[in-house]
Amino acid sequence: MKNISFNKLFSFSLVSLLGVLLLISFYDISNLEVTLSLSEHYINYGVEETGAINLVTAILFDYRAFDTIGEATVIFTAASIVALILPQHEASMLKTEFTPIVHQSIAFILPFFWVISIFLIAYGHLSPGGGFSGGVIISAMSILIIFTYGFHYMTRRFNVTRLSLIEDFGALLFLSIGVFGLIYGGSFLANSQAGVYLGNPGELLSGGLMPLSNLAVGAKVGTGLSIIFISLTRED
Amino acid sequence: MILLYPTIVLLICMGLYTVLTQTNMIKIIIGISIVESSIILLLGAMAYFPGAAAPVLDHPFELVADPLPQALGLTAIVINASTTAIMLALVIKLHNRYDTLNIHEIKKLRG
Repeated sequence: MKNISFNKLFSFSLVSLLGVLLLISFYDISNLEVTLSLSEHYINYGVEETGAINLVTAILFDYRAFDTIGEATVIFTAASIVALILPQHEASMLKTEFTPIVHQSIAFILPFFWVISIFLIAYGHLSPGGGFSGGVIISAMSILIIFTYGFHYMTRRFNVTRLSLIEDFGALLFLSIGVFGLIYGGSFLANSQAGVYLGNPGELLSGGLMPLSNLAVGAKVGTGLSIIFISLTRED
Repeated sequence: MILLYPTIVLLICMGLYTVLTQTNMIKIIIGISIVESSIILLLGAMAYFPGAAAPVLDHPFELVADPLPQALGLTAIVINASTTAIMLALVIKLHNRYDTLNIHEIKKLRG
């Protein structure tokens, strides 16, 4: 017992020391006078260079699209690991039966989830959102279905094999966009350098290949996180 | 705005204290998630400065928030979700094998 309280005291003092150091460094960071030349370049020339008015999407899918492919690989790896290490017939946790009120309200709300997720993916280069947030809403939809209607309904409707096919399709689409940039623009995942027609900024078909990459990432993230949740809750 | 950075520091310290003192693996995962969320808050705080608009340039602008940390924050959120999923899967695996969530009772971890 004495040992445990000593442990807590030691951790508390260590953490407070770290907190003081962090406070000092954050204070210095917030008072730093630096010229953010890269960010200023993105803000001033980002729209005319990429054709997308949402600058975060412009960075994610044009300037730093290579980072985004690494990010998508992280989700792919996580889904593979979780599906690999969890056994098929254990870890059952969903035994609750909900009332018809919950069933009816979830059935009412699901079409709106579809619409908002497709909107976020399709308008990712025009408004806040994009493939990642739209995909997360798709996976939230599958989590809602599993919790209310049960696991078997979900797997009957959306087979895991089919979901992983969609995930592979997203990965392949993103990779083929990258190879397209390699052939026509000289660098992997080149979008505006490849001479793609950029369109008028602010219209739906603008930003070159950015809507396609948003679609690829949305399909990948939505199905990848769904597969992770299905693997975490699956029972036999 | 003046309380933002102390809040981030407080969240980091709370998460680390949870990781150091708790023995339940689920609570340790909660602590790691708190630290990761505070890092996302830090990235958002670095992007913002007073009077800045969101980096969606559909209208004439004077001050725009820095879009670069926001893109990094998106990366951090995705990696946060993936690592949390892997940690939970490992906890399920360990609980199946040892029938406990206490890290002091899991002794055969070596080798």
